[in-house]
Amino acid sequence: MEVAEVEAEVEKKATATRSRLIVRLAALLVSHSTLVSVVCCLAGLIALLVLPLLAKNTYISENALLPGSANPVLSYQHVTQANNLIMDIMSIADVKEAPDIEIPKLIAKYMEILGAETYHHKFSQPQNQFHPLYFFSSSPNSPPTLANLSYGTSTVGIIRAPRGDGKEAIVLVSPYNTQNAGGIDASASASSIGLAFSVFSLLSRATWLAKDIIWVASDSRFGDHTSVSAWLNDYHNPNFIGDASSNRIFKRAGTMACGIVFKVVEKERREKYEDRDVVTMYAEASNGQMPNLDLLNVVHYLAVHRQGIRVRIGMFGGLVKSHLVRVLGEVMQQVGRFARSLNPDWRFEMPSSEYVEGTATLASSIYSQALGVPTGPHGAFRDYQVDAVTLELSPRFSLKNEHTRLAFLLKGGRLIEGTVRSVNNLLEKFHQSFFLYFLTAPNKFVSVGVYMIPFAFLVAPLPIIAASLFNLTSNRNPWRWLHTAKPLLITHTWSVVVTLLPFYISKISDLPSTHCMLTWAGGSLMALVILYIVFGSPYSKHVEWRLLKAVMIASVSIGLCLMSIINFATAQIGALFVVPMCLFALPIRVKTNNSLIRSMVMTCNLVMAVLGFPVTAVALMQGVIKGFGTVSILEFWDSMKFLWGWNSATYLYLVLVHLPCWLLFLHILFHPCH
Amino acid sequence: MASDPKGSQLRRILLIFFSLSIILPLSSPSPTMHNNNWAVLVCTSRFWFNYRHMANTLSLYRTVKRLGIPDERIILMLADDMACNARNNYPAQVFNNENHQLNLYGDNVEVDYRGYEVTVENFLRVLTGRHEASVPRSKRLLSDEGSHILLYMTGHGGNEFLKFQDTEELQSHDLADAVKQMKEKNRFKELLIMVDTCQAATLFSQLQSPGVVAIGSSMKGENSYSHHLDPDVGVSVVDRFTFYTLAFFERLDMYSNASLNSLFTSYDPTLLMSTAYYRTDLYERPLNMVPVTNFFGSVMKTIPTDSAYPGFLVAHASEYATISAETETARVVLEDEADHSKTYDQSEKGLQHILDEWLKLLEGKLGVKDPEVLVAYGLGSMVLLLTISTWLSS
Repeated sequence: MEVAEVEAEVEKKATATRSRLIVRLAALLVSHSTLVSVVCCLAGLIALLVLPLLAKNTYISENALLPGSANPVLSYQHVTQANNLIMDIMSIADVKEAPDIEIPKLIAKYMEILGAETYHHKFSQPQNQFHPLYFFSSSPNSPPTLANLSYGTSTVGIIRAPRGDGKEAIVLVSPYNTQNAGGIDASASASSIGLAFSVFSLLSRATWLAKDIIWVASDSRFGDHTSVSAWLNDYHNPNFIGDASSNRIFKRAGTMACGIVFKVVEKERREKYEDRDVVTMYAEASNGQMPNLDLLNVVHYLAVHRQGIRVRIGMFGGLVKSHLVRVLGEVMQQVGRFARSLNPDWRFEMPSSEYVEGTATLASSIYSQALGVPTGPHGAFRDYQVDAVTLELSPRFSLKNEHTRLAFLLKGGRLIEGTVRSVNNLLEKFHQSFFLYFLTAPNKFVSVGVYMIPFAFLVAPLPIIAASLFNLTSNRNPWRWLHTAKPLLITHTWSVVVTLLPFYISKISDLPSTHCMLTWAGGSLMALVILYIVFGSPYSKHVEWRLLKAVMIASVSIGLCLMSIINFATAQIGALFVVPMCLFALPIRVKTNNSLIRSMVMTCNLVMAVLGFPVTAVALMQGVIKGFGTVSILEFWDSMKFLWGWNSATYLYLVLVHLPCWLLFLHILFHPCH
Repeated sequence: MASDPKGSQLRRILLIFFSLSIILPLSSPSPTMHNNNWAVLVCTSRFWFNYRHMANTLSLYRTVKRLGIPDERIILMLADDMACNARNNYPAQVFNNENHQLNLYGDNVEVDYRGYEVTVENFLRVLTGRHEASVPRSKRLLSDEGSHILLYMTGHGGNEFLKFQDTEELQSHDLADAVKQMKEKNRFKELLIMVDTCQAATLFSQLQSPGVVAIGSSMKGENSYSHHLDPDVGVSVVDRFTFYTLAFFERLDMYSNASLNSLFTSYDPTLLMSTAYYRTDLYERPLNMVPVTNFFGSVMKTIPTDSAYPGFLVAHASEYATISAETETARVVLEDEADHSKTYDQSEKGLQHILDEWLKLLEGKLGVKDPEVLVAYGLGSMVLLLTISTWLSS
């Protein structure tokens, strides 16, 4: 009997240790938390820096697209007709008194000649209001009020596909500013209309259309985006109430397969000499959403391999000149060469110039997505889950010369024709290729699987550090963290108050932005003081700084992970600021043995206390990207207004995750350590 | 060697013997004359960008029609309708060449299974002849033991499968099983399977039924490529394998006697960008003796029947009459083949006679209830079998 008992006991022990393997692994990680966090953070940074090396070439993954398989048939005849329209627009702009009425009429007349269904869409300027509840619903469904305000008029033409089923449509958008009809870039602006017209006239005779074509000549007097988003809103939200009398005609044509926005922009001649026509693609929509990569691929393929047009995407020119990035590029090149000498199959060697350009483009891509603000009218499409891209075509030669203009229209028109024909071949929505990606060149991308690695490395040490801090505290009560939950709760309540304050401030009209900024700051401070008076000081006896730090890290890691789902790029940039703050936080009064390390950590802490403040963090980001000359801290109000004007979740992140983190960081920094 | 007629004949006899020692005897199947031709042409893929598959199939349809298979003996299965696709620059027309000389979708195209009717189930039903009662005759493969059948399939395939529509696939063992059933039901005499897909050779790797010859556009691990792109229509219009098959047939008419071998060896791997692979181990006749018109054309013999009108009886020849004088040259190869089989029969006659006698005796004794007698005769037949087999092997 005794033997059996002993055996059973041994077995029990064995199973206990076996079942605790994962726990022991976790304990191992926690006990070496400092090492783990240092390694992870370094790995995260390195992974972020090598992203341009890991970029893959883009490829067209949807079979049905067949880009460039059909010869373009846009001819000089179409272009000459378009040229007549351009001349007419220019003459109206010069002579007539009311171009904002005459030009839409003229465009409609030209559309009708082609046999298209036409109507005018009137819209007013939306109120740029702060809608705290509208962050994730795309369209504030405000009824149009055209009574007393000035309004813009977009002209819309629809070609029905002769043998199509009429259930799908492709939208072409050409923004045109009637207010600036006689302005400097009037010829370029009129050329956008001309370009659209040349393609439209071709498509009106095409026998191969399977999807209807909608051309929106949008009036961009309130900005390119406003007119498109107003039109899309009316397209998708039919207004049935009280509109019978005011005979507003609004015609529709099926669900949208794709939106192509294009405008002609004539660059200043003094800028860099171009040996080719250039098309710049803008793809970022609100909250870091991107159109399907296939759409960009099609445009890139047709532009480069069919029409010989150079393709550009957004890039931070400042980073290309930066010495730091250049040195990095050299290092990467050497590392790549070394790796290749070790194993010829490791081919991630990249010339340093390419790395520098890739980094600058990647930074621009991440920044534009992180900002959460669309980079063009295509953003309005993405709000309705329609893939869209803005193409900015800039000619090599001046458009004032008629011959070069015709040649340019022909080239640009064929690019758009090819894209339309390719999308026309689609049988389903764009779905084959990536939606989550960063671009490092017009034909190179970093997919979601790769770009998540640096973020994962940065966030991974947070729970480990939190656990180790929790273990280090002297109090052994498992519910000891409840005391520290109070300051956390106070901080987050405060951040909600700070989030909502601008709503009331913006109600007060005619306040200059500096005053708004100061009111906001003052209000926030007052709210904090009131909260402390009501709920008591955060430094009560039970609140150990280690526990406070553990709780802060836990809350921050939750916030970061949530944000990474909503807008990954924001979380990625935010992690670069927040994670060091979480890891380094140390009270000033704490006693340590090694004074050198302590002084280093303290310096870091003080620097981070300054830089981590959202206002300075935003200024720093903008400084890195746009150059420090233009940045001033007082512009914070304007940039925040910009963010909530576009319903960007980045604003919520800044105030609801970053700001409480910074405040808790200060709490830890000034902890009395009793 | 299976292609050796003598060896196979002997093997068949042995097989009969084995079965006889257990159950009732069977008479050896009498070879039926090849007396009709059928074609089953299948395009399995839909969607506009697969235009070429429909063009492939329609081109083959046109060719076999030109070479003499009538419409009622062609089962044409097209999984999509490119002619009426809104994206088609030439409404109601299908071309297999960018020169647009030949509209494949003319007035007299009879599509038997179209669109979503083209499923694996329907395909197998057509082959095996298991239809619901309501299926019209025009949709059935009404072949018999004298039929030569051409089965042409094109679409997207992979290792041992062929994709049907966008959801289903036909696997190589499905095909082999269907062919086996056809053989069992005497639905064909000879069957030519021609497949133009990627890794086409893998599709007929499981076939076991005799009388089948198969050719595929590519080997395992190879892709089959399209031949050229029509820049007006905006899609590829024909596949390479089919294109060169058609090029081969363009030179022929229904009276030419080019052999299957010359077709099979006409494929140039550099032009095809894949290796055309053909399988002949189930097929008895030598390929260079088989004219392509045996599968791609139609037999030229008519079987006269008694007049439908009583009182209008004409004394007709008891033998089959050839339809025209020109066919005589074309039939030379076939007649040769018939002669061969005759000589084989004669050389085998002596042995067969003895065997038949023994079988008859055995048949009589099998009725005997006494088990001992049965065992004795069984042992006797085993001994006989042993001696014959040793004699044969020596």
